[in-house]
Amino acid sequence: MMIRKLLKPVASLKLTVVIFALSIFLIFAGTLVQVHTGIWTVVDQYFRSLVVSIELQIFVPKDIATIPGSIWFPGGLTLGVAMLVNLIAAHAVRFKLKKKRIGIILTHLGVILLLVGEFVTGFAAREGNMTIREGETVNFVEDIRSSEIAIVDQADPVDDLVVIVPEQLIETDTTIVSGLFPFTIEVTEWMPNSQMLGPMQAPESRKGLADTGIARELAALPLPRANGVDGATVDAPSAYVTLMNGEQRIGSYLLSVYVDQPQMVVVDGRTYWISLRFARTYKPYSLHLVDFKHDLFTGTQMARNYSSDVRLVDEGRNVDRDVLIYMNHPLRHAGETFYQASFLRDDAGTVLQVVQNPGWMIPYISCSIATLGMLIHFGIRLVPTLRRRP
Amino acid sequence: MKKLQQLLPWIVLVLSIVYAGQKLARPEKIDSPFDLNTFRQIPVSAHGRTKPLDTVARNSLMNISGRQSIRTDQGSVSAIEWYIELITSPEASIKREVFRIDHPDVLTLAGLDTEDRTRFSFAELRDVGNEINRQAMLASKVKAKARDPFQRAILVLNQRMMLFSELSQLTSPYLVPPLTVGEDWRSFVSVLNENPQDPDARALLSVLQAFRNNEPDAFNAELKKFRDLVDSHISYDARKSRYEVVFNQVQPFIIASYLFVVAFLFGCFGMLCAQLTKPDWSKSLLASMTAMVWVAFTVMTIGLASRVYLQGRPPITNLYSSAVFVGWFSIIIGLVVDRQMKLGLGGIMASVIGFVSLVVAHNLGNSGDTMEMMQAVLDSNFWLTTHVVVITIGYSATFFAGFMGIAYVLLGVLTKTLDRERGKSMTKMIYGVICFATVTSFVGTVLGGIWADQSWGRFWGWDAKENGAALIVLWNLLILHARWGGMIRDRGLVQLAIFGNIITAWSWFGTNMLGVGLHSYGFTNSAIFWLSVFVISQLAMMSIGMIPMAMWRSKFAKAPPPPVPESTSVQ
Repeated sequence: MMIRKLLKPVASLKLTVVIFALSIFLIFAGTLVQVHTGIWTVVDQYFRSLVVSIELQIFVPKDIATIPGSIWFPGGLTLGVAMLVNLIAAHAVRFKLKKKRIGIILTHLGVILLLVGEFVTGFAAREGNMTIREGETVNFVEDIRSSEIAIVDQADPVDDLVVIVPEQLIETDTTIVSGLFPFTIEVTEWMPNSQMLGPMQAPESRKGLADTGIARELAALPLPRANGVDGATVDAPSAYVTLMNGEQRIGSYLLSVYVDQPQMVVVDGRTYWISLRFARTYKPYSLHLVDFKHDLFTGTQMARNYSSDVRLVDEGRNVDRDVLIYMNHPLRHAGETFYQASFLRDDAGTVLQVVQNPGWMIPYISCSIATLGMLIHFGIRLVPTLRRRP
Repeated sequence: MKKLQQLLPWIVLVLSIVYAGQKLARPEKIDSPFDLNTFRQIPVSAHGRTKPLDTVARNSLMNISGRQSIRTDQGSVSAIEWYIELITSPEASIKREVFRIDHPDVLTLAGLDTEDRTRFSFAELRDVGNEINRQAMLASKVKAKARDPFQRAILVLNQRMMLFSELSQLTSPYLVPPLTVGEDWRSFVSVLNENPQDPDARALLSVLQAFRNNEPDAFNAELKKFRDLVDSHISYDARKSRYEVVFNQVQPFIIASYLFVVAFLFGCFGMLCAQLTKPDWSKSLLASMTAMVWVAFTVMTIGLASRVYLQGRPPITNLYSSAVFVGWFSIIIGLVVDRQMKLGLGGIMASVIGFVSLVVAHNLGNSGDTMEMMQAVLDSNFWLTTHVVVITIGYSATFFAGFMGIAYVLLGVLTKTLDRERGKSMTKMIYGVICFATVTSFVGTVLGGIWADQSWGRFWGWDAKENGAALIVLWNLLILHARWGGMIRDRGLVQLAIFGNIITAWSWFGTNMLGVGLHSYGFTNSAIFWLSVFVISQLAMMSIGMIPMAMWRSKFAKAPPPPVPESTSVQ
């Protein structure tokens, strides 16, 4: 009885309507703000947050008026949880299990599942990219939203020794020391997003910041973090580092995700390869790109189709087969799904999006339940109305 | 007198069928010694689609001059006549005043600001061609969203001049069809450059030469030969092309929109008679309206079906066709509502929404081919059929509820016809349509999520268009829950339904105007103005609805408040 009393206000329909109204405003604002801000930032700030500060400027174009200030607003996580609590409370307090109510109950069950599914996706889904050139075989997925410094020791003929320094440890003026390689890395400049310039383009101030490897030809310029404007949604980090062997200076390097090939470091006669790259996750399977096709409509530059003809090899699962991945036809393998996402310049290779989402089935199930529920609920009411001729 | 009232609907029905039938069955022919009626049926390939020359000519002329024919002192010149003149006697064609220019600074730039016209010839523009080109290059370096009106206008003019040149030089469309298996369409010029003796290209060349030399008999004979050649190799495309020419000439959507206007007038007079307490006449006029709506609906269905056949795709492939479809489905709802309510309102709503949607579609289709090819990711008939159709039905239903809300407000405030019983029956209908809209927009949104999961790997990506769809679902849910909770009664329901129009219009068009996200393919520019006008008009309707009910001309509100809806008591 006590619980009922407590639940009653939480279960009220007024609260439902208020949550709907708040959600509508949040989604509206979260759509408008995408004009200025990248989708991922928006999803994190608006839809997967507890509270969000909504700038008033987004409602009025800058060339009409400048509007300072912002308002605090409940974020998507808060509203989602509120909706869930309201719904569950309503069923605990108000709804009785009657035949007439079966449609509504099913609908609400579907909605509850849908919300849960979105939480699962928000917390558990992993997205990455697989970039494969034609003829190449790749067995790792890159996370283009974080990077790492990799030091590779190829002395062992069978296995490479790879040491990874994740992005979180890299900052300007830090020194990275590890027992796994015989030198220290002094980060002289860390650029979370950057631009690569040739010898003619680089301003004087950016020249000669490092003296070894590609730094002799190229220079990096820091950029503000990508916010989705101008289509740039990916940060391309670079770093200037100085490598020291104890007190002895080995050389200063420019590391960048723009540079495909690792750079050589020789210490005490041993060779190491150093690079800055997007964070990799190695997989027990590999994909070999046989052919990438980019078909156009006759006489136009408009794409008709993109397709990747790949060979999937997964020894542990006894898989070794050819697969064609194209628009609307992803490959599902080992709990992951591979989508045709993009391609390299001159159609030299493919970019697949790799998604691991343990909750991917939930929306399918929940929506089927909710749809069935709605059809039953409104069907029970609407059909007799339609049949009854006035 | 009684007789006439009973007969009128039948007379109207027969007349509308005769009108639509003769329009559909007897497309206009071009009167010329040259068999241009056959010439325009020739299939060609442009922008990746096989279509008749007629479509190319119409769309190009539409693009350049904003009309599908040229008006001259000697009468009207059809698009195909303009086109064949352009490719056979460019020296004459460049003197035709077809380039529409409105921006005063562009006119000044071209030295044409003293002229009292809006259309100019290529010859007039050619002298300043280099300057136009230079200005266009400058403008193209500015990001699309940041361009000022002059920059947009100069880019449009430059694009039109390029289109004109391409057409006259025969580099586009591709005129030489694939005559062997595995071959693709080829450009006439490049074929002749590679092999001046190519038989297919020569066959076409003789046709054009005969026209240039003003030899109708030779033209007709050569044309027949060329057509038989094309027919024997790509007979399916040739058949479709012929059908498309008929479709272009007949313009079923225009026929339907005329019928809607007349049907609307019948409806209004019917309501007026009800006001003047002449129920027999009212009934008769409303039945006539319904009959016309049925005929218009049939014509529109033929138009939609023709597009499906020509494109080989489900009915909705772009903003243009979504507008047509919204109109089409609203008419279905209107006819159902009409059957239920017997007030004639459903029919009036159907004719208004049908007409407005066709006008919107017409303006959206002005930019070119309305059956253009689709981007690779959209190339899925299954999802186009399910997701797009269902979500568009959701738009239609939400709009319909909103427009019924407007009718409720206008009838209540301005007339005495809205008594308690009618008011009740209208709000019941609005409620029912909102329930239907909730289901369809929810299912449509979910199907979109499933498509997204299939093609991008995420069920929900918070993309602008997805959010728009979610807003419609949430808004309809808000209305229903507010009603169930007794927070709103009849007038509240009506007001919220009208606001639903704003939400739907924003989701449908506004999200495209942001130019962000995966769905930004339907971007339209001038529509921003019209969207704002629409939003303001809806807000105005809502403020009229806010007028205290004591001041409404319909006095039903003075009756005791209706009992709380039955559903709340169950919960």
